[in-house]
Parts: sequence; C-alpha cells; structure tokens
Amino acid sequence: MSQMQIQETQALDARGLLCPMPVIKTAKAMKELAPGEVLKLTATDRGSIADIPAWAESTGNEVIEWHEEGDAIVFFLRKGA
Amino acid sequence: MPDQEKLVVMVTHGPDEPELATIPFAMAGAAVASDVDVVMGFQGNGCLLVKKGVAETVAAPEFAPLGDLLSTIHELGGQLLVCSPCIKSRGLSEDDLVDGAEIVAAARFVAEITSATSTLVY
Repeated sequence: MSQMQIQETQALDARGLLCPMPVIKTAKAMKELAPGEVLKLTATDRGSIADIPAWAESTGNEVIEWHEEGDAIVFFLRKGA
Repeated sequence: MPDQEKLVVMVTHGPDEPELATIPFAMAGAAVASDVDVVMGFQGNGCLLVKKGVAETVAAPEFAPLGDLLSTIHELGGQLLVCSPCIKSRGLSEDDLVDGAEIVAAARFVAEITSATSTLVY
C-alpha cells in the first residue's frame, strides 16, 4: 500500500495494548478531536487491522490510510462530523 | 442515525475461568467505545468478578487485563448489575462489591434484556 503524506492532529501510541484496549483508547482520543481532525494510531495488536475499520464505520469516523511498520500497524483516522 | 443501541452482556463465569470471564468484558469494552449503551449482568460465579480486588487478579492470554477493562467500562458509563441471590449465597454484600456495582434481581435483568438491541450470554 502506498503511503500518503498525512499530517495528524494528535498521535496515540497503543503499542503493547491487547484487545480491546486499542479501540477503547482510540475512541477516547477521538473524542478530544474536532470534526475533520486526524488521529495517528500506532498499535501492535493484530486484531486492530479488522477492529479499527469496523469501529470507525460504526461510529461515523474514517480510516484515511493504514499500513504496517515492522511489527506495528499505523492508522490515520479522520474524525467524522 | 438509528435509535441509541443497547447491549446487555451476561457474565456467569468466574475468576477460575479467566478466558470466559474476560471475553464478556472485551465485548462490553468494545461496545462502550462504539457509543453503544452497555449493561453488564453478573450471575453465578460471574458475581465474584465484581468483588473488590478480584478483577485485578484475572488475566487471559492475549486479552487486556480484566481489571483494566472493568474500570474502563465503568468510567465510560457501562452499568454493572449483580444478581442479589447469587451474592448472598456467596456470603457477599454490597460493601464487598466494586464502586458502581448495583444489586438487582431477576425482573430488572428481564427489563434490561427486553429493552436491549442485543444480549450476549457468557
């Protein structure tokens, strides 16, 4: 997957957290953002690859891009309206 | 947006079965993170998980620690309902339970379940 240059508003390091804490921490972090702002999430829980897009869809947020960096998975999430 | 969704999660396994005790908390945690109203119901040995000091001792491989999940669910507004006869039969009282735990009986569980979008039973 090609990596776009995306400027995040905030970053969340969820490396080492196990299911379902990456989603819970993401939800908390996104509540601090305004609509349109972007959260960069870095996680190592492989379940996040399925979990974060499912969470985003059910909560009206958007996964702009995701990719793997070594053992980590990096997501860019845009807060919905 | 549809009407507010509500998930009831019934917990019947205790600390002697860490995985079956933890999975309902993982589901409830994901639900509160998804803006779903959550009611956790504790029956049978599940009641032991909301006895003060117990959740912190339970961890299942590859899941977040149960104590972290319990505190997060409570913090994010999840309700913790505990079966009255189940705690009495185990010699427990309200003072033995974690903050936020509410002692209820069968009719309250029925009311929560019949008004929920979905119910999970573990």
